[in-house]
Amino acid sequence: MADPTCESTGVVSTHKDRSIAWTVTIAFGVVILIPCLMGFIVKFGELVALTKDPADGGFAITPVINYLLASAGFFFLLLWAALNGMFRDLERPKYLMLENERELDAHG
Amino acid sequence: MTATAITSDTKSHEELVDEKIVKFYLITALIFLTTSMLAGILVALQMIRHNPFAGIELFSPGRWRMVHTNAVAYGFLANGFLGCLHWAIPRLTLQPVANKKLSWFIFAAWQVVVGATAIGILLGEAQGLEWGETPVWIDPLAQVGLLLVAINFMTPIARMKGPMYVSLWYFLAAFVWTFLTYAMGNFIPEYFVSGTSAGAVGGLFIHDLVGLFVTPLGWGLMYYFVPILLKRPIWSHGLSLVGFWGLAFFYPLQGIHHFLYTPIPLFLQYGAIVSTIAVELVVTTVIINFFGSIWGNAGVVRTNLPIRWFYTGMIYYFLTCLQCAFQVTLTFQKVIHFTDWVVGHAHMVMFGVFSMWIMGMMTYLFPRLLGRNWASRSLCEWHYWLSTLGLFVMAADLILLGLFQGWSWAALEPWDASVDFSFPFWVLRVIAGLAMFGGLLAFLTNIWLTFRAAPVTAPVKSGGLLPT
Repeated sequence: MADPTCESTGVVSTHKDRSIAWTVTIAFGVVILIPCLMGFIVKFGELVALTKDPADGGFAITPVINYLLASAGFFFLLLWAALNGMFRDLERPKYLMLENERELDAHG
Repeated sequence: MTATAITSDTKSHEELVDEKIVKFYLITALIFLTTSMLAGILVALQMIRHNPFAGIELFSPGRWRMVHTNAVAYGFLANGFLGCLHWAIPRLTLQPVANKKLSWFIFAAWQVVVGATAIGILLGEAQGLEWGETPVWIDPLAQVGLLLVAINFMTPIARMKGPMYVSLWYFLAAFVWTFLTYAMGNFIPEYFVSGTSAGAVGGLFIHDLVGLFVTPLGWGLMYYFVPILLKRPIWSHGLSLVGFWGLAFFYPLQGIHHFLYTPIPLFLQYGAIVSTIAVELVVTTVIINFFGSIWGNAGVVRTNLPIRWFYTGMIYYFLTCLQCAFQVTLTFQKVIHFTDWVVGHAHMVMFGVFSMWIMGMMTYLFPRLLGRNWASRSLCEWHYWLSTLGLFVMAADLILLGLFQGWSWAALEPWDASVDFSFPFWVLRVIAGLAMFGGLLAFLTNIWLTFRAAPVTAPVKSGGLLPT
């Protein structure tokens, strides 16, 4: 039972193929994500416990805060850039830059 | 929102770029590189027990080692990059810098900061932070200087409209990162935290200087110079942005990989290891992009010397990052920690990558700045080959030696034994260093000969089409 959804590319997939692909992807994701999540929660718990220690708290938290401060700024910059259309027509700046260079040299 | 394009109102190159300050920055950079390399040779001679200044406190190798590293970072790389930025940013944004007088003030102030750092170190005023030995009384001045640099260059970028070219993303980030990195490294351990916390911040500082100051400026300039020399756009602008944002999010956590097997909490060490390996994937996208750009036209590296410098640096960059992805594992660290492997790695990054890129940019810019074609093609070739081969020999020599030292120490052999078998490797390092210094002398001679030659009226052949 062929479902020619991708005739233009010559790839013909069936509902069965797609459901197998989805099942494998989800199973793979679960196999990877659950142990990772568990590991992360355990380690995060250890970190929280360590930060409450008066002797080692600052010692543990200083580099983490440094990282979060640096990354938070860039996270908001990424959001700002996306909302202001910086990633629309992604390839245009590379052509414009070369055109400007040629013009500057021609009239410089 | 439309991107900035040339219109009838656009200023000319002469109005945009202050060529005189570019020239001053590049020449000053070369003066500091000469100082740094001489200091490096001095330390290398000490290692083979031939220090010509033995017994003179001012010339003690411990102090000159710090002059060597500081002069490269703040004297050569910073001046070289600032000079090239004065060329690239106005041309990319079609806007001059915020204030040309401020540019000259920054130039003068920066030389005072670097000069005072060298004098302070030689007089024994060094701050206890690797690559941040700048005496504490200079730190506030340097911090203000970095703020002024950011204001001067970020103004034209802020004035332009539309989606930015990837170079400008890198430059913007570098101005913010460098300011924050310098503050973090020079003030937090000095005044706010101590002990292992200070060590952890010191690790972040060392590595962020490479990754958040030198790397974004270097790649930003590569994304500018490579397309204009190849006369074709970068292969994928989208992929270049993946590289930039990948650097932004993965790099800041890496620094602690300098302090594996220390009392710093292991989860932070693991975080540094994972993010270092993640950055290798980001680096691969950048390398693919640049090699995609030259694909089908690779023969140009034979004739176009700036391109040859750039791509040689990129190969070294890939090798360095690949090495990094392995050497940050705990297994590898067991062997190489505290060995000469680290010294080899550091030279491959600082000289093999960023210095080579600056040499390529200088090879492109000097003819344009002086209004003359290069006086001697053979001196250009000598400069390239002595630098490239000298660095290759030095890096290979030290990396191999590092393995031998690590295995020797792991086998609990006496320390003296490792010093004895290191000796021939250290002799080879001196020879390689002299070759690299010879390359620099060839370049300086060529600049002098070019300066003395008659100016040309036709456009100079700065695209690397050197005299045959």
